[in-house]
Amino acid sequence: MVDPDPITTKTDEELAREARAGSRRSFEELALRYKRRLFVYLRPRLGSDQDAEDMVQETFLKLFRNIRSYDSAFQFSTWLYTSANRLAISSYRKKKIASGNLDVEAAGALVDPEVGAAGSAGIWDAARNLGGSHYRVLWLRYGEDMTIEAIATSLGKSRLAVRLLLHRARKGLMKRVCPVPAMATATKTAAVKETPLG
Amino acid sequence: MLCKLTRWLISREVDRGIKTPRFALRHGERCGACRAYARFAASLPSRFAGERPAFLASVPDFPLNEARWAEDGGVREKRGILPRRLVLHPFPAAAAAILVVAGVLVLFQVVLREAGPSTEDEAAALAALKTVTAAPDEFQGMVGKVESPLAKERQILEQSVASAVEYLQARLNIKIERKDTPKSL
Repeated sequence: MVDPDPITTKTDEELAREARAGSRRSFEELALRYKRRLFVYLRPRLGSDQDAEDMVQETFLKLFRNIRSYDSAFQFSTWLYTSANRLAISSYRKKKIASGNLDVEAAGALVDPEVGAAGSAGIWDAARNLGGSHYRVLWLRYGEDMTIEAIATSLGKSRLAVRLLLHRARKGLMKRVCPVPAMATATKTAAVKETPLG
Repeated sequence: MLCKLTRWLISREVDRGIKTPRFALRHGERCGACRAYARFAASLPSRFAGERPAFLASVPDFPLNEARWAEDGGVREKRGILPRRLVLHPFPAAAAAILVVAGVLVLFQVVLREAGPSTEDEAAALAALKTVTAAPDEFQGMVGKVESPLAKERQILEQSVASAVEYLQARLNIKIERKDTPKSL
């Protein structure tokens, strides 16, 4: 029986500390763990697989350069997504300057055309169709299990703004995911019952 | 309106763990939509977690360009770039040193101490001191010098008195004699 590679059993923060101390292998393990997760996070924002892959590469390159500045008081995922967000915004601005006709909100709300509006198989696809910041907060909250504070740090928003985004995202997701007849019935019943309360 | 508030409070409980107020719970019992929202919000963590592996597996795999990290690392090592390490650059360090010196000069005034007396001055001063300390040896002489004007004055006075006595003896035909030896002044 072969023992599992000890590096795979380490936490992200342990690996990040080792990488900061100079361990290339630890950093590679971190990149391996996060490359797909970062890809699905960035993909709706950037509009194409190729752009998303490039952005993942750029993000890891930036982290590798700045690994010595990693503060182990924070979760590695917070640091990673903060850097990815900044790079994505920077990339978007460059594109905007180059093309001159992109809109910030539109860029934040880019929807994967392959998933489309024809209906989603899973809840993550439905979340991705919400687009923009709604998908991002859902991913960070439920995909990465990050706290409200960590999400606020990563996105550069206040905690209240993050909670508001999450609330709206849940409502939007419910509209997409819950069966329409059940929702309508429930809403109608509620409306009738609520009339006296206003 | 109450539905919106109730759902916001449900979200607050999910995100922050703050218990939903009783009025919202009572509303939830009556309102099917709010009840459905509460169930949906509560089910999200398990649903998302359950579908996460399949969602990630659907992403096409792509290789990471680790060669770029090596290039970057190699360049940094060649250049001797040591991030986040304190390195004293000459110009900023010199500027800082000048600022410190200027600050010290502003706060403290530098005063040069006068040079000490030379050996000749010391010898002269000692000689002067000796003349002063030697004065008691010639004290009588000095007193005599000081008293000489008084003796002269006394002599003049005696001469004038003697001439006055001679005049009176001749004029009145009397004889005036000195009683005793005059007392010393």
